[in-house]
Amino acid sequence: MTLRRRFRGASAGYLLIAPALAATVIFLVIPMVVSAWWSLTHYNGIKPAEFVGLQNYLDVLSNARFQKAFENTIAFVILGMGIGPALGLGSALLLDRALRLRGLFRSAFFLPTMTSLVVVATIWKFLYSDAGIINAVIGIFGLPGVNWLSDTTTALPAVVVTSIWQGFGFETVVFLAALQSIPRNYYEAASIDGAGRWAKFRWVTLPGLRPTILFVYVIGIIGSFQTYDQIFVMTNGGPIQATRTIVFDLVDRFNRLDLGGASAVAYILVVFLAVLSYLQLRIGEERD
Amino acid sequence: MRSRPLARGVTYAFLIAAALLMIAPFVWSISTSLKQPGDVFAYPPKLLPDPITFQNYVDVFTKLTFDRYFLNSVIVTASVVVLNVLFGTAAAYAFAKLRFPGRNAIFFLLLLTLMVPFQVNLIPLYKIMVELHKAIPAIGADTYFGIVAPSAIQVFGIFLMRQFLRGIPDEILESARMDGASELRILRSIVFPIALPGMATLAIFTFLGAWNDFLWPLIVTNSDEMRTMPVGLALLARKNASNWGDTMAGTVLTAAPLILMFLILQRRFIEGLTAGSVKDVG
Repeated sequence: MTLRRRFRGASAGYLLIAPALAATVIFLVIPMVVSAWWSLTHYNGIKPAEFVGLQNYLDVLSNARFQKAFENTIAFVILGMGIGPALGLGSALLLDRALRLRGLFRSAFFLPTMTSLVVVATIWKFLYSDAGIINAVIGIFGLPGVNWLSDTTTALPAVVVTSIWQGFGFETVVFLAALQSIPRNYYEAASIDGAGRWAKFRWVTLPGLRPTILFVYVIGIIGSFQTYDQIFVMTNGGPIQATRTIVFDLVDRFNRLDLGGASAVAYILVVFLAVLSYLQLRIGEERD
Repeated sequence: MRSRPLARGVTYAFLIAAALLMIAPFVWSISTSLKQPGDVFAYPPKLLPDPITFQNYVDVFTKLTFDRYFLNSVIVTASVVVLNVLFGTAAAYAFAKLRFPGRNAIFFLLLLTLMVPFQVNLIPLYKIMVELHKAIPAIGADTYFGIVAPSAIQVFGIFLMRQFLRGIPDEILESARMDGASELRILRSIVFPIALPGMATLAIFTFLGAWNDFLWPLIVTNSDEMRTMPVGLALLARKNASNWGDTMAGTVLTAAPLILMFLILQRRFIEGLTAGSVKDVG
């Protein structure tokens, strides 16, 4: 009886996971392996792949356009992650104090997070346009208009602003939830010990937020490493490669039928994300 | 104590400024979508459209093909949500409540795939879809099947539902088994009803992801009839059209379904999105 039931449970188990397993193998594992193989070949999708060892990796890493894409991606990560989460934390601290209308503010901040990157990028492309509202507003102060997206110095920061704007609500909401999960009596205890506002922030708030800060950075860094949609809509990688990112480079190689090179770029991205995840995990463990 | 009202004033001033900054671009896009072409770049800028025209909305449906994009997005999103909720919950039930050899090892291997960025699979996946389409024209590249299949059963959803289903007491399942119910029957009449709140959260997540998805639908579709809303909008915005009115109408139409859903289901959205963040990620 027990044995039969166990057997029944087992076959039902395999039956229930079969679709998920099949989908994962066909659409994820097999493409992943194929991609690894292609990265070691010269392949244009038409002629048979020709094994070239690590040549694609060497070519990609020494390619000027990839290097530019890599630099830009790092700039996206540093600028975006340097500013975004700090703003989110700041607004969460303010919201934590504001008892009235908190829900309303939270919803307003959250709207861009709900919206697709394509919509966000399209709206901002319009705001940044030469005769657009941003230039009109700075014109009121007598300043000359800027070609935000077609000037090599402003294009990248302009796109970063868009990403920060979109992520702001998510960061605020996540930090606010974390702030509210810190027990109030910790603050009371700190007050009794004579802690001032800064000391309380340093010794109660920040340690309480640590896992959340880590979470926001993990999600944020992985996301900005894969920046593509905004670039496609707003600048198409230009002007003169100024906003070319790693994923943009990958898709560009795909469009030029350099499937071997594109696969190599993909695996370079994987290595970077893996190293980053590992470092973040280590930072997470360090102080526990 | 003396600085309190001042501090509060400053707090609210910052919050109101931030809220305006978050809402203003949407307001401007809605306003522009209702303007006549000549008013779009009027100087000084017209905050409100005057006269109001719905011509841009008529145009995106008649001159452009946003009606088709919308239909495609609805079909794709609905399929992705239904497939993930059904198959994801079924698999999660097996991983959470059934015993079979290799269960934990298989689950662990599935979790590992979460580490792989989609870009790695992108190109071989496209090639697979192209070959499939050659063999069977109804599926593969440039079909609904092609857009939906790679995200039809996501590991993330299985993980989410497994966490949820672990809370179901074994006694309930055991007594149903005693009564002779099959596992599929248990899934349908016990697990699904109990798991409804979790399934709702999963549905929201997959809805969000599927409606906003861009890179894959862009790559796997070639014909205009198969474009989804974000792809159609991105290609329109990229053309750097002189007529921003119709482009802004496109942004409003693409964003509206999600924003409406958010306004209705706000709490669940925010709770769902913040669920994983407060506890330790590791």
